[in-house]
Amino acid sequence: MTLHSDSILQVHGLSKSFSGVNALDDVQLNLHRGEVHALMGENGAGKSTFMKILIGLLTPDAGEILFEGNELKNNDVNDVLKQGISMIHQEILIVPELTVAQNIFLGRESTQWFSSWLNDRDINQQAETLLQQIGLEVSPKTKMKYLSVAEMQMVEIAKAISNNAKVIIMDEPTSAISDKEVATLFAIIKDLKAKGVSVIYISHKMDEIYQIADTITVLRDGKYIGTKSAAELDRKSLITMMVGREINTLFPEKSSSKGEVVLSVKNLNERGKFDNISFDVHAGEVVGIAGLMGAGRTEIARAIFGLDTFSSGEIVLKGHKINIKSPCDAIKNGIGYVSEDRKGVGFIPALSVKHNITLASLSNHTKWGMIQDKSESAVATQMINDLKIKASGMDQKVTHLSGGNQQKVVIGKVLLASPEIVILDEPTRGIDIGAKFEIYKLINELTTKGIAMVVISSELPEILGMSDRIVVLSKGKQTALLSKEEATQETIMKYAMQH
Amino acid sequence: MNNYFTQLGNSTKQRARGMGQYGIFIAFVMICLILSLITPKFLTVSNWTIIVTQVSINALLAFGVTFVIITGGIDLSLGSMVAVTGIVASLLAHPDDYPVIVPVLAGLLAGVFMGAFNGTIITKSKVPPFIVTLGTMTIGRGLALILSKGRPVSNLSDSFNFIGGGSIFGVPFPIIVLIVAFVVCSVVLKKTILGRYIYAIGGNEQAAKASGIRVNKVKMAVYTICGGLAALAGILLTSRITTGQPNAGAGFELDAIAAAIIGGTSTSGGTGTMTGTLIGALLIGVISNGLDLLNVTSYYQQVVMGAIIIGAVVLDGWNQSAAQR
Amino acid sequence: MKKIYLGLIALATLAGCNQTSEKESGEKKMVIGVTMLSMQNEFIVNVSDEMEKKAQELGIELITVDAERSALKQIEQVESFIAQKVDAIVMNPCEVEASSPAVTKALAAKIPIINVNSETSTKPSAFVGSDDVESGRIAMKFIAEKLGGKGNVVMMHGYMGQAAQIKREQGAREILKQYPDLKLIAHQTGEWDRAKSMSLMENWIQSYGRDINAVFAQNDEMGMGAVNALTAAGMKDKVIVVSIDAIPDALQAVKKGTLDATVFQNAQQQGAKAIETAMKLYKGEVVEKEVLIPFQLVTKNNVATFIK
Repeated sequence: MTLHSDSILQVHGLSKSFSGVNALDDVQLNLHRGEVHALMGENGAGKSTFMKILIGLLTPDAGEILFEGNELKNNDVNDVLKQGISMIHQEILIVPELTVAQNIFLGRESTQWFSSWLNDRDINQQAETLLQQIGLEVSPKTKMKYLSVAEMQMVEIAKAISNNAKVIIMDEPTSAISDKEVATLFAIIKDLKAKGVSVIYISHKMDEIYQIADTITVLRDGKYIGTKSAAELDRKSLITMMVGREINTLFPEKSSSKGEVVLSVKNLNERGKFDNISFDVHAGEVVGIAGLMGAGRTEIARAIFGLDTFSSGEIVLKGHKINIKSPCDAIKNGIGYVSEDRKGVGFIPALSVKHNITLASLSNHTKWGMIQDKSESAVATQMINDLKIKASGMDQKVTHLSGGNQQKVVIGKVLLASPEIVILDEPTRGIDIGAKFEIYKLINELTTKGIAMVVISSELPEILGMSDRIVVLSKGKQTALLSKEEATQETIMKYAMQH
Repeated sequence: MNNYFTQLGNSTKQRARGMGQYGIFIAFVMICLILSLITPKFLTVSNWTIIVTQVSINALLAFGVTFVIITGGIDLSLGSMVAVTGIVASLLAHPDDYPVIVPVLAGLLAGVFMGAFNGTIITKSKVPPFIVTLGTMTIGRGLALILSKGRPVSNLSDSFNFIGGGSIFGVPFPIIVLIVAFVVCSVVLKKTILGRYIYAIGGNEQAAKASGIRVNKVKMAVYTICGGLAALAGILLTSRITTGQPNAGAGFELDAIAAAIIGGTSTSGGTGTMTGTLIGALLIGVISNGLDLLNVTSYYQQVVMGAIIIGAVVLDGWNQSAAQR
Repeated sequence: MKKIYLGLIALATLAGCNQTSEKESGEKKMVIGVTMLSMQNEFIVNVSDEMEKKAQELGIELITVDAERSALKQIEQVESFIAQKVDAIVMNPCEVEASSPAVTKALAAKIPIINVNSETSTKPSAFVGSDDVESGRIAMKFIAEKLGGKGNVVMMHGYMGQAAQIKREQGAREILKQYPDLKLIAHQTGEWDRAKSMSLMENWIQSYGRDINAVFAQNDEMGMGAVNALTAAGMKDKVIVVSIDAIPDALQAVKKGTLDATVFQNAQQQGAKAIETAMKLYKGEVVEKEVLIPFQLVTKNNVATFIK
């Protein structure tokens, strides 16, 4: 590791409170030129607030920010951008109908004094050069909507570079892209680093942090916990710093025993999505589904749950073939599904925790179509306690909860419909370590109760840690059904990349 | 903005949050207060009886469209449904033809049928509600003209004319209909499983579907209810003006949608209340009544009406965003 | 949407036209293109029906279209008539200024064009209708005489800025000037609409109560709305209501005594004279430039003669 003595960004004593609650309390940061600096912490640790202050979206209550020796004060987003700090947001902000080049230069067209209308050829040329720099092989004239999530991210990076960014903040940049694309992203980050650009990297994925980061700063509950060189900080200590207590094993011991077959999927097909998928799930068992992005994992889950159709094959529940046309049928047959797309398919933001959690089982609490508030509140309270959902009350809107708690609300909703089989699709995506651990514990509790589980995940350690058996998919085809003993990261990857 | 609100203390924020919910109500009270200061004729029992009677038709339509807007849809055929149901009812309401229940039921049935037609096309075809109901708006207008042969249907029975013109214990019948409809609609929206599903679908249709809600059935119900309420409005209007007019109700959908939106129903779906909609409808009625009382010239009336509506919604918007911080 | 609809009508009429000319190539039937302001207005529908009757009587073929109150649409319709080479055009103009280009175009194509019921600023081959100013005078004169030249009047306008509204107001104000003790205490638009006017009258009752002695409504729909509101308030006996057009509903009301008077605008005469004038022009006969059909006051005394 190279040592950098000159720092580009220094933050001291930064504080910010909302409604009397401290979101940030005396936080510091020292970012060097050409350094990749990981910012770690559980959800709610204050990372987002910190970054929002840095890019001028929020004004701090106290503290100072020195950028290249000058104090940044009372700046709005555009000032900060001009000075050279760019952020690549978790939810990528693009205009799908515009071209790549137009997106890169969005909002800066008017600075080109020579044209009030846009000189497309000019920006296309500039964009071409930028795209070459970062090694992205798309035409600048392509409309943004035709790009993959990873490619969109690259475009955002190109945009940051075109802004002459000296500091680039990346918020969970790998949450929606495949392993291969992650490799490309990391190559670009290394390249940026070599050019003296500093990167603040936010992620929950430990493996990535150790691959890419030089330095790690940890926040917890809005407080600064410490900064260490990545080489000196082992995983266990990092987790301890983040959660404030020691977590010995991330994956809790399982105690359930395998029962009879609950769900059999037989030769399930859907043209262009998946092909000839067959597996059984026993009561009390966890079957993992592994595969790269686009392997068809989510598509299979959606087909079983009745959200999408399939062209042939059978779904057999406890020996009876069932006909599922909609999620309503699936729920009636005791199938529960927690989507990977928590915001899109999981919860309803405008509704309260209570109303979300009872939504799939509301007919249990009605008389003549009228909702019986007492019985509804009772089960909601029970579930909130059981899952340890942190909310100010059951009437709080779900939007205002952290990712982990939102996920628990969705799981609670599925559980209240008394399923016999639960499909969890990326159950821990974008949620912090503490909440992850609780969800793993919950999976174990459910299997102990005899519920059959299917877990889909992109994180191999998670699949390996939780599953009794693992279905591996590659490009829509089932390439392996591995037992716990057979499965290692290497065997899974081998089958996942098999053609 | 940020600076300003962080400087304000905790207590101010709490108050702002409270205001957000009642913003439009406060705007409404303020306008009433101003009007009662300017003209002594405004704040009288008889004037308010008239205001509420006049508002009842728009309010019924607004209740219906509130359901629809909460699911994320829209219904532009309200005005045409008013005309069709009014014509159907009036054709059967001549003296000595049938007992009054017959034209009323026939009108309601016509509205329910048209609403169900909207619902069917919208759920089966996946064509946006805006387009579908724009189509039924034109179809409905045509039907009203065909049924009436382009002429008003007059000479209606006294018992039919009682619906819009009569009173029970001094309370005009339209006000009674309004109150009953308001209570029923509020209960449906807030207390029944259908109401919860309506909010869920508007909040996130995919998530609602994944929660086992039969989205199409709920939408179907919503457009049908909206048609039924439009029929009620059509019958009230026909009875009030003692004649069925094929061109009645033109542009009513805009007033109804305005009432819902002024009352805090979001056009993107998922939020809204019947109380808000009722206040929205009353606000429009009060402004119109007040301007007539003050004898404001026609030209200025339109300007003032538009300005006050924008002002009320802007004020509400400020309060809402203050509450969210 | 309406455009498509209109296009279909145009196509249908075109097709219909071709058929007849093929069939009866021996003796060519005279064809008149008719565009009406709005077929949702009862009086206009009556005029249109009378034209149809007259045309049948004279063996003339009519192509009648509805301009749906849009002057632009009306111009397009006249253009299509010109393209179809009709023998004459009868137009019931939507607007004074905006419908004028239609007249210019027809005249340029040497097709006689007759305005019926209301005027355009460009003078057509002939005008058949009544002078709306006169109807305003008749109505207000009746009120003045009934009140003995002294009292408070309210006036309900039609859509502001339309020819009928402007002229009826003008006529009423001429009379008001002659009676200095007759005061116009309020005037407001009821948009030609019964429900709107009923609400307006209710609000006026709140505002002026028993100070109101008479109501002048610029059409019967609004007059009926005012009657409804006054009856509900128990004030009908004390307030005179007069309106214009003599639609069947209004005639019934005059007969019952709830409406004090209406002014009869002769749809039958307007329709028939328009077709007659068109035929004369087609045959090259000399016609009067302005055929004015007189208005008639309808009260309880003579209402029986107007009810069909």
